[in-house]
Amino acid sequence: MSSQQDDLKETDTEARFEFKKEENSAFKSEKGLTEETVRVISEDKDEPEWMLERRLRALKQFQKMPMPTDWPGQPDLSEVDIDEIVPYIRPDIDKRGGADSWEDLPEEIQDTFDKLGIPEAEKNALSGVGAQYESEIVYQNMQEQWEEKGVIFCDMDKAVQEHEEIVREHFMTKCVPPSDNKFAALHGAIWSGGSFVYVPENTTVEMPVQAYFRMNSEGMGQFEHTLIIAEEGSEVHYIEGCSAPKYSAFNLHSGGVEVFVGEDAHVQYSTVQNWSKNTYNLNTKRAIAEKGGRMEWISGSMGSKATMLYPSTILKGRGASDNHITIAFAGEGQDIDTGAKVYHNAPDTKSTVESKSIAKDGGRTNYRGLVHIADGAENSSTAVECDALMFDNESTSDTMPYMEINESKVDVAHEATVGKIGDEDIFYLQSRGLDDDDAKQMIVSGFIEPITEELPIEYAVELNRLVELEMEGSLG
Amino acid sequence: MSTQAIESLSEDTVRRIAEERDEPEWLLETRLNALSALETAELPDVIQTPGRRWTDLGALDFEALVDPLNQSDATERSAGDDEVVVLPFTEALDEYGDVIEANFGSVLDPEHNYLTALSVALFTTGTFVYVPEGVDVEDVTVRAEMNSRSLFSQTLVVAEESSSVTILESIETGDDEVADDRYFSNLVEVVAGENANVQFGSLQNLDDDAYTYSLKRGVTDTYATVDWIESNFGSKLTRSDIETELNGDGSESQIVGTFFGTDDQHFDINARVWHQAEQTTADLVTRGVLDDVARSVYEGVQDVGEDAWNTSSYQRENTLMLSDDAEADASPKLIIHNHDTEASHSATVGQVDAEDLFYLESRSIDSRTARNMLVEGFFVPVLEEIAVDEFRDDVEELVIERLQ
Repeated sequence: MSSQQDDLKETDTEARFEFKKEENSAFKSEKGLTEETVRVISEDKDEPEWMLERRLRALKQFQKMPMPTDWPGQPDLSEVDIDEIVPYIRPDIDKRGGADSWEDLPEEIQDTFDKLGIPEAEKNALSGVGAQYESEIVYQNMQEQWEEKGVIFCDMDKAVQEHEEIVREHFMTKCVPPSDNKFAALHGAIWSGGSFVYVPENTTVEMPVQAYFRMNSEGMGQFEHTLIIAEEGSEVHYIEGCSAPKYSAFNLHSGGVEVFVGEDAHVQYSTVQNWSKNTYNLNTKRAIAEKGGRMEWISGSMGSKATMLYPSTILKGRGASDNHITIAFAGEGQDIDTGAKVYHNAPDTKSTVESKSIAKDGGRTNYRGLVHIADGAENSSTAVECDALMFDNESTSDTMPYMEINESKVDVAHEATVGKIGDEDIFYLQSRGLDDDDAKQMIVSGFIEPITEELPIEYAVELNRLVELEMEGSLG
Repeated sequence: MSTQAIESLSEDTVRRIAEERDEPEWLLETRLNALSALETAELPDVIQTPGRRWTDLGALDFEALVDPLNQSDATERSAGDDEVVVLPFTEALDEYGDVIEANFGSVLDPEHNYLTALSVALFTTGTFVYVPEGVDVEDVTVRAEMNSRSLFSQTLVVAEESSSVTILESIETGDDEVADDRYFSNLVEVVAGENANVQFGSLQNLDDDAYTYSLKRGVTDTYATVDWIESNFGSKLTRSDIETELNGDGSESQIVGTFFGTDDQHFDINARVWHQAEQTTADLVTRGVLDDVARSVYEGVQDVGEDAWNTSSYQRENTLMLSDDAEADASPKLIIHNHDTEASHSATVGQVDAEDLFYLESRSIDSRTARNMLVEGFFVPVLEEIAVDEFRDDVEELVIERLQ
């Protein structure tokens, strides 16, 4: 433990995320959102007509829908003025769809991802990597062995061109329609970048594929779209990392994620989000699981000013299952409102939600979750467990689960606890020679361990580092 | 919301109700204020998730149901002891007008929502319970029968320092048959003084053509305790809110709830507690059974304020489904603003345990009897919380009746 902690201390994690790069773009849209903006983005991407139509439909939807303001205790979104956002910035790169060598990238972009440690991780532990800078994927590469098996991992914009039929069928149609919520509609109108992952039948992608999203410019919005299709019997683990340096103006991240889990397929989706504390993080993520399919969501929400994120799974086929693991850490000025939604629409479906949250220095965490069991979803079972840890009296910790049960042959359980760090625990660790800070850090690490142990090692280490970083400052 | 739809709901009506009872000026004014608040007041909040409104209060047909000038009830009140005052609300005004004026509306704002305002403007029955300092009484009972299309009831309990009282209230439909639907509205305020102890049990078993709105709220002073038992068996649609504000250091509240829904009954059960002082404790326990196409909605809120140091707060809710077509929604909520808190909640929905059934059947008990035994057993943890035998027997009896 101690040697690992020393390691963590030597790594200057803060410097790794907080650096800024001069803005150097090839194309930058005007601020705000009009039909013209949408047309310009679509034209700059040379998109087929149907995509432009979908964007315009989503825009209409967006203009029609009211801002969500009536959720009990929801984060304050009054600052989020879409007219102040730059929705689209194309970085100055030669090749559309992402270079396949880091060397081909402009130096400042290369340097950004070097600092974030992405090329290093690619060498060691990943099947493929995509990297998005502002609105476009700048780097995309996958090991040849997967390509040979028919696995596709490419930039979403490129997928619209090269895999048009399958994208047209799945893109914001049956999983996340733009009408789902205001920010899904916004996303549908001005999405850009993101990843497309296609895994053919009975193929197991053994090492994870990763995408990293970086916002560099002040006042921009990032709206990447991720579409994952895992065919029958396939298996894939997708990892997403996000960060941005902090500016005084607000940034907006409104990603869309759609996952199709085929029969007996298994998809794991892991995110560690470390947006800067001026970023509003309002995402829509959803998976549909067919018969026997298994979906896993693992989310660490560390950054952002306000996050509203409720990854959801529709268990559509008999015997499908879903696991959610979430960690939220809210420090000063942060409002992390996150949770999980699960729809049991078929018999013998199972879901578990495990949520851990930590609030300190006036931060607020909220678990907001929904479990819906449809009539006829016999022998479904769901277990939700939320634990919250509070550090001080300025912070707030809320738990708001909703359960809708329309079937009697079910097993539904929800449990939640809120507490503070036990004085006795600290005393015990101090009596073993640890100082107060180390003791608290160790207790927090222990608190989130059930979740970190589910993460691939690089991410577990990363998450621990971020927690450590959050813990410093106030404890010193 | 507008009041225009209810023809007889006017200032004249309210004045007439007050005059008939020879009420003091301040109460008339309170009623008239409540009446004018109806113009802007909203119906109570109901939970809404994408695509689903948990309870549709809009379906309540006030125009047809509310008949202010023809309210009728038969209520038996028993104090069981000379030291405690138990009087019909309006009769109590003569002698205890000052106490009532000082406390009326102090716990529950008449203009809290549309239904409370309507109730305060129109109430004609209810009970005033006054427990002087140091007095300890156990058997206050209020048994009410509803004999009209609509009935509005207003109850105030004032327990002075170091007093203790147990109050049992029941409401049923009387013999006078009213062909149509009915509306029963019941507001209860409890003021628990320093070190006072109030236990308030309520048993609602109206006919299944009734709509019931019930809001009961208590406030605690230092070291006071307010315990609630809320049993709902009757009515087509029930909206019940039981709430305690823990305002005094070291004060406590327990909210025990039971419900049993059959046919197309709908229960919207809410238990809320606000911790606003140091070292307060709350325990919310609700158990319900649903049969046929009955539906339940449960919301529990434990709100721990910034100044509520050293809080303990617990909540459990369990729903048992006996029929495939029953539906249960639940939302237990924690709102925590003070880190010096130990709080937990849990909620479950399930059916009768197959292994338990199998065990009983293996002892040659037929499956129907076995199921009934298990349902009775399901209620035991809440029945155990009911200290008054008579009340517990009533609840048990109603459970058994429903299992036949």
